Amino acid sequence: MADMSKFADIDIDPGIVRRAAAGDARAHEIIYRAFASPVYSICLRFTKVPAHAEDLTQETFIEIMRSIAKFRGEAALGSWIRRIAVTKALMFLRSAWTRRGQSLADDWSDMTEGDALSHGISRHPDDALDLDAALASLPEVSRVVVWLHDVEGFTHKEIAGLMGKSESFSKSQLSRAYQRLRPLLETQADGQQREGAALSC
Amino acid sequence: MSGNRKEDEMICALTAEEYAALQAGLRGLPDTMPPRKVWQRTREQGEAEGLLRSRSVMRRPSSWYAGVGIAAAALVAAIMLPGMLERQADVTTVPDTTGTTPELRLTALQTLMRESRDLESSLRALPNAPAVQRASTMATIADLEDRIAAIDYQLNDPSVDLSDEDRELFWRERVRLMKSLLQLRYAQAQRAAF
Repeated sequence: MADMSKFADIDIDPGIVRRAAAGDARAHEIIYRAFASPVYSICLRFTKVPAHAEDLTQETFIEIMRSIAKFRGEAALGSWIRRIAVTKALMFLRSAWTRRGQSLADDWSDMTEGDALSHGISRHPDDALDLDAALASLPEVSRVVVWLHDVEGFTHKEIAGLMGKSESFSKSQLSRAYQRLRPLLETQADGQQREGAALSC
Repeated sequence: MSGNRKEDEMICALTAEEYAALQAGLRGLPDTMPPRKVWQRTREQGEAEGLLRSRSVMRRPSSWYAGVGIAAAALVAAIMLPGMLERQADVTTVPDTTGTTPELRLTALQTLMRESRDLESSLRALPNAPAVQRASTMATIADLEDRIAAIDYQLNDPSVDLSDEDRELFWRERVRLMKSLLQLRYAQAQRAAF
């Protein structure tokens, strides 16, 4: 699978990266302007709280300032920044889960089958707002797994590593999330011949 | 995140069509820009921790006659540039001027400025944006325009003492962003035409 993440679409002149590595504030501002939107968006999707997302965005860019001198350009700058943002957001969520005494596995327990559709979600898969709302209605862990897997292109193994859990945990979270999101997607298949059954696990 | 590894993984509970629709939908969700105060706070923290060099430190030590020299060069460029631009053939490649003399850097800067101006003209020549646009395209266009505006702000801020090297870097980035913007707007115009 090609890296379809928005981070991958952003390109920065290597000269600007070099100047940022030397502590040039203007170069850092250019990098910030380029990546602030995807960084903030991923933090907001993970936490759902703008104030947390703002803090995490700030932490991400401070980490970039600290570490960019070590960036060797072997990977794309966007992938490197994305990894920092994801790590920061997951660290935040983990500490929140710990504070609440909640395990990573049990946040489906509070959800009922009707929850996704009760969050104002209609059955119009072309409507980004509906999908956004459906995603937001998922339990935190599943939302994170869906985003990392389907948008950022992480494998289950990588997700497991990031979350300190097993691959089967990641797969299970994804599967449950898909079951919850499926009503949104069925409409698109309506009126068409549905080719093939659900892919097996 | 290689293709094979991903293909080997399971897509539970969804048909291939549903999975494709979900992926396309999620990837099409628009991004959100953080409030402006976030950069301000980040910058202040970066400066407080000594991670960023402040403007006064970034200024290269220079004597008064060096400043006069730069000002004179800028004046000469301002007077001669329009005429030079009319005579020059289309030049789109920007030479790598790292480690070159100030004269060559000035030429590179002129080339970038001219290229930027040409791109602006091409952009203006495109038809207006269609009334109905994809949210993701609109967001990308707005993002590019924001980034260009941020660079323009830096280039025009009288309180910022930019070196020739800085100026060239910013102009190069501006041209790169303008090209992306033009490609996007052109694609948008093409779609609207059909």
